[in-house]
Amino acid sequence: MSERMYPGYGRDERTTFSPYGAFEVPGDLRELVGRYDVESMARRVRNFRYAEEWTMMILGGWIATIPEVPVKTGLGKIVWDCALSADAFGKRLPELRCGRKAVDASEAANDGFAKLVNALSEPETPDLSIEKIAGVFDVLKPHLLAVYERTMRETDQISDAPTIELLEDAVRRTRKHIAWGDEVLERLCDTDGKRERRRRRIATLRAQLEACGGVTGTLADELGRAH
Amino acid sequence: MKRFIQHEELARDSRFTRQTTALSSLIAELPDDVNAVDALFEKFDPLIEKSTRGTQAEPLYDAYGPGFSLMTNTQALTPGDPATPTRIKLRMHGIYVGELQALEGAGRSLWDFPDAPWEFKMNMARQCWDETRHVQIYEKLLEHVGATPGMFPESTFLFECACSDDPALRVAGVNRGLEGLACDVFRDMIRYAEEIGDEKMRQAIDYVLADELTHVRFGSDWVREFCKNDPERLKRANDFRKQVDKQFNFGGARSERKDSAIPIAFDDRREAGFTEEELKELVGLCGEGPSRETMREAARVLRERHHARKAQAAGAKS
Repeated sequence: MSERMYPGYGRDERTTFSPYGAFEVPGDLRELVGRYDVESMARRVRNFRYAEEWTMMILGGWIATIPEVPVKTGLGKIVWDCALSADAFGKRLPELRCGRKAVDASEAANDGFAKLVNALSEPETPDLSIEKIAGVFDVLKPHLLAVYERTMRETDQISDAPTIELLEDAVRRTRKHIAWGDEVLERLCDTDGKRERRRRRIATLRAQLEACGGVTGTLADELGRAH
Repeated sequence: MKRFIQHEELARDSRFTRQTTALSSLIAELPDDVNAVDALFEKFDPLIEKSTRGTQAEPLYDAYGPGFSLMTNTQALTPGDPATPTRIKLRMHGIYVGELQALEGAGRSLWDFPDAPWEFKMNMARQCWDETRHVQIYEKLLEHVGATPGMFPESTFLFECACSDDPALRVAGVNRGLEGLACDVFRDMIRYAEEIGDEKMRQAIDYVLADELTHVRFGSDWVREFCKNDPERLKRANDFRKQVDKQFNFGGARSERKDSAIPIAFDDRREAGFTEEELKELVGLCGEGPSRETMREAARVLRERHHARKAQAAGAKS
């Protein structure tokens, strides 16, 4: 029997198969059952939406208090990207049995994550651009990227494919944001003192992030399992 | 981060100089009288002079005195006029900082009203991106006409309209008042670009104008939504928009006349959702306050006095 490649979209779908029947329908090696059921995925999506919505609002508020014009304009685009992600997450919620009105439902995983978001938003004055950008782009967004990617891998690849699709968009945007933030911070941190400010900010917020369990509140559990 | 900042708190890099905003508010309230206009500008002369120092407005101040902005604001952009290159730079720079403040205002609306409906936030987030592109477009256009960001003093009176703590008033002032003004100004710039055959300027501003119509529609929709079943709030929102419209007439520079410095863009405004009644109101508001002729005459007198003072000072020194 000849071997053929299954013309699927994802890596797992593209595999060898033994053709059968009149149409030579290939076998699908993806397996049912992922790590999250409908209810727990809905909770995650609400958590993701919370993070994207608050990032959008915080960055929007900072545009006026950051002096560097290219940073203002960079944030203007990222604000819109975060809005698109939050909107997509919201639209998924009614599909996950959260009710028709759930499209604007955001939920912090726990008080700790809400406090972290509050801490991210604290820097206010024009001399704190480093603290502002480092908090969101060195700490929060890399964390979101890791969680989004893990969720995509671990959820049911067939049943929950719509969530995977919208996470793919969020991942693509978040990667760009992290690269932008890093470039901006490289420019802003042009002395040892400023680089130290960036490091301190990262260390403080990362500790807070780990303590609260991240955007879903389950970071330690997930990392433990991954290891 | 606190909510509701004031215009003085806007962060700028070292290229920018701030100009007093009190003058534009006061002009709107003046009678149609040359002496009254002159008295106001004389009163603000030291502040005006200070804000021009170190910028490209300094030679304009030296040449025209405290009323230099009247000389530029009240004249149409005319191809071939020797003053037009300076006028286009000033106007382009005013638009550039206006777009910057519009970006900041839309961003602040996201932070200041966390409990607003999601669709409102989506509209404001979209406006952030649009205003971002406008800043980038006008930065290029500044370069195109030989100007640079920060070369003239910046007035933050646009952002002042974005400081209301009522979202209905904020969108009424910014999205309907100011974005409506943008329709007028951009249509006039497109007219000028067509006259001089500048396709780069024409096309870029044509796209910006398309965005502005969308922003006016955001404003129209949200004023209606926020003020649903609340006629008192609707009246406050409309009054605020009228106050903004009045303040941004630039002393008769904007009017329904085709030869005015900024003709009202009736067709664009209709497409954006302004009603015939609102347009009629705007024409009426443009007729209030000092006329363009009064402003020109006031500028002439201010210039004469400025030169007389300079001559007197030079004489005293020698």
